[in-house]
Amino acid sequence: MKNVATRKEKLTFTLNRFRKFFKQFSRNKLGIVGLAIVFFFVGLAFTAPLLTPYDPIRPSEGIGKYPALSEGLPIAERLCVPVWYKNLPWIFKGQLLIEEKFYSVIEEHYGQQWQLFGKEGQTKATNNALLLTNRVAAIANITATSDSTTRTLDPSEWQQNPNRPEEILIKNFFPNNTKFTVKYFTGTDITENIILSKDPTFASEDALNIWTNQTNRPDIVTVKYNNQKGYVTKLSKESGCLEISFDPKETTIEDVEVTLSIPFQYPYYEPPKSFIIHYSAMFEATISIASIDFLFTRETQSGQEEYIVAKRQLTPATIYLHQAIISTQNDVLQNIGVNPVTNKIFPLPGQYSFSIRITLKNLNRPAKMYLDNVDCILYGNAFGLLGTDSAEPYPRDIFSALVYGTRVSLFIGVVSAVLSTIIGLFLGLVSGYVGGIIDEVIMRFADLLLVLPTLPLFIVLIMALRQFGAISIWNIIIIITFFGWMSFARSVRSMVLSLRERSFIEAAKAAGAGKLHIITRHVLPNVFALVYVTLATSVPGAIVLEASLSWLGLGDPRVASWGKILYDFEASGTAVTKGLTDYWFWIFPACISIALLAAAFILIGYALDEILNPKLRERI
Amino acid sequence: MGLKKYIAKRIVYMIILIWAIITVNFLIFSMLPGNPLEAYVASLRGKIDEQRLEALKEHFGLNKPLHEQYLIALKNMLTFNFGTSQLSTAPVSQTIFAEKMPNTILLLGTEAILSIIIGTLIGVLVAYKRGGILDTTFVTFSLTMYSVPIFFIGWLVIFVFSILLGWFPTGGTYPAAWARAPPTNILEIIGGRLTYMALPTLTLFLFTVGGWILLTRACILETITEDYVVTARAKGLKERTVLYKHVLKNASLPLITNVALSFAFIVSGATITETVFSYDGIGLLTFKAIINNDLTLLYALFYVLALCVVIANFIADLLYGVIDPRIRYG
Repeated sequence: MKNVATRKEKLTFTLNRFRKFFKQFSRNKLGIVGLAIVFFFVGLAFTAPLLTPYDPIRPSEGIGKYPALSEGLPIAERLCVPVWYKNLPWIFKGQLLIEEKFYSVIEEHYGQQWQLFGKEGQTKATNNALLLTNRVAAIANITATSDSTTRTLDPSEWQQNPNRPEEILIKNFFPNNTKFTVKYFTGTDITENIILSKDPTFASEDALNIWTNQTNRPDIVTVKYNNQKGYVTKLSKESGCLEISFDPKETTIEDVEVTLSIPFQYPYYEPPKSFIIHYSAMFEATISIASIDFLFTRETQSGQEEYIVAKRQLTPATIYLHQAIISTQNDVLQNIGVNPVTNKIFPLPGQYSFSIRITLKNLNRPAKMYLDNVDCILYGNAFGLLGTDSAEPYPRDIFSALVYGTRVSLFIGVVSAVLSTIIGLFLGLVSGYVGGIIDEVIMRFADLLLVLPTLPLFIVLIMALRQFGAISIWNIIIIITFFGWMSFARSVRSMVLSLRERSFIEAAKAAGAGKLHIITRHVLPNVFALVYVTLATSVPGAIVLEASLSWLGLGDPRVASWGKILYDFEASGTAVTKGLTDYWFWIFPACISIALLAAAFILIGYALDEILNPKLRERI
Repeated sequence: MGLKKYIAKRIVYMIILIWAIITVNFLIFSMLPGNPLEAYVASLRGKIDEQRLEALKEHFGLNKPLHEQYLIALKNMLTFNFGTSQLSTAPVSQTIFAEKMPNTILLLGTEAILSIIIGTLIGVLVAYKRGGILDTTFVTFSLTMYSVPIFFIGWLVIFVFSILLGWFPTGGTYPAAWARAPPTNILEIIGGRLTYMALPTLTLFLFTVGGWILLTRACILETITEDYVVTARAKGLKERTVLYKHVLKNASLPLITNVALSFAFIVSGATITETVFSYDGIGLLTFKAIINNDLTLLYALFYVLALCVVIANFIADLLYGVIDPRIRYG
């Protein structure tokens, strides 16, 4: 019974001590701030998968929905800006009417007359066309002034170079030194990704709602939903698809044409950066060959403009053929003629449609075409909370990397701080209490390690280890631990040296206590105040060190750490140009996170120091 | 123990340290499981011509047993014979000592002098007015700087002084035009170098000055409560005289020890700073060696950097011996 009572007594004593300690700690404002920051980051680390759906190392979307892209779609274009840029008032979004002035010179070379143009202000006219400096969405008008008469040129007198819309060819000859004024529209915008189909796998019949179809032979062609014949993968078991059946009564002379399209509104004054079209198709027929064209159409005042981006042929088959068409592909570039192709297809906001046109020649027997996994994704220049980096071909969401990086930095920081503190404590205790040759060896070894320049040493170690494969975060933790115990061991040793001369140790010795007992029961509790402080103050060192190593490219490439974000930035080459201003959101959040987390631990350490080592308080 | 004996002891200690560094280097490169150096040289086959590969093997004695390799390493390191590296045929020692080292010493020297002088002065001021708003400001600043990674300071410095204000170039060692036509005018050379050195120096300065402020402050607070300071005040000495003649003089001893210790820290910072500013010194060379996976170059670089730190330590120890009378007459 007595035993229980003492235990209870002991427990209340410890509890009271803790309560007192927390009361003191809560009075320390900076300590509370530090604690709050650490809690914030710990929260981030734990909720990372909830906060962001993307993988921080190699993100992709819709795996299984797009079989031609077995690794999924990229989530965004490279080097996107944050989405909230659209709310910033100083970023221009919209249409601009720009005026540029040129003059013409007639020159004779090789017995032939040439009309050359120069920009106003340039001394030499060297171009055979008017070269505009911005992207041209549309030409408003062109005026020519010669002999103080000004007239607007008729659209038949000039022509935009089909392969370079910024180049305007003037067909007629004008007198020497005619002034041309070109007014044209251009625009900049914050464009987001547009995914045309919400249900590309045709999981339900509703998927058909967005599609409209048109055909020249409604008597032969029917378009309907089929819930049997869809492409089935392990990942998506759904079996719906779009079925187009051709049912000719007799041999058709003319081509049978079906156009399936998704009309959509393109709201931006800037073209998308790129697009990806994906489709899976199966053509059930006896002999015919089907050709499939993929095209975008734009509604203009004068009618429709049609841009065929890709042409494909399908032979009869019993399995699905999967293909992805990417806007940077050679055949797309050739079909459109302008690079990037989106500049020509999406010059202005407005009503557009994406269409698939299926053409069958000499159809004489029934045929069926199944389409599945059809989608078109327009990639904009803005994505996520912090944009994307420049990784290829799968750019990363910087916000995801930042959130997941919290885990790595916290883990490495805390684990290596704990380990090095334990080692330092142990070696310090042994060195201080045992003394003699052991003390000498440990301390000389510590001196040697203290003299070595840390970062170069780590670089050399990691490079040596890297000859045999990639570095893991455990390598880094071990290295940081191994070179982080010295100064703590020294202070523990000096404390132990003074402690062991005290009378209570003497008393314990006299009572017959062994060395181990004295160290663990009498010395250790007195040193422990130092342990908490060192724990808190050695975390930031480890965090910053890990970040520096990753920044130099020596981190674990398979782990998203804050340092890796910065390394990616440095390695992308964007830093050299205008990276720091244009892509500040890429690096500064990570840098600030490192600094904040490190500072938080220092604040906590200082708060602990003040509470646990009250002697210091008098000094400050 | 007289001064001579003290110096002799320090020299012996330095020699032991140099031996230890060479041994650590050897341990890392040749004794880690798998022998990184051998693996590296083997991986070079096909990348560089056979003759140079053989020369490298010969240089490190890779065909010989391990203990002979160790002796060869000792001899090579002590004679600064680092062989050639993967990228260029020029001797590594020439690249390091003739091309890169002067730049780094110039940068680090300027930075160290500036930060020590300014840091100490601020530290004294802050300690004197402890508890005031100035004290809080500088202590907070120093603590913050301790937790900010140096590349972030570098980027911020570039952002402010080079991009926003446009006062200094974003990086480089000297104007690009100098590569074609080096200037002859001495003023022009100094001016050009200074403009390119300004931002890296500032970055390192911001990185290290906080440490000096905190250290000086702590040392002064330690001494300011001593009895002799009270006596000095009681004698009616001016506060300034007390502070600079009685307090600072005695507080400066631990400062000097720390100058030496901090050198290892500054060298680490310089590696990153030089990379951020592409300042053509040892640090940038280290970064290039990392990128190109040039192990033999790193072998030499680590030794040279560690050697610099050891020598700096030695000089600080000597200074300590000269300044502290207890060592002279002890």
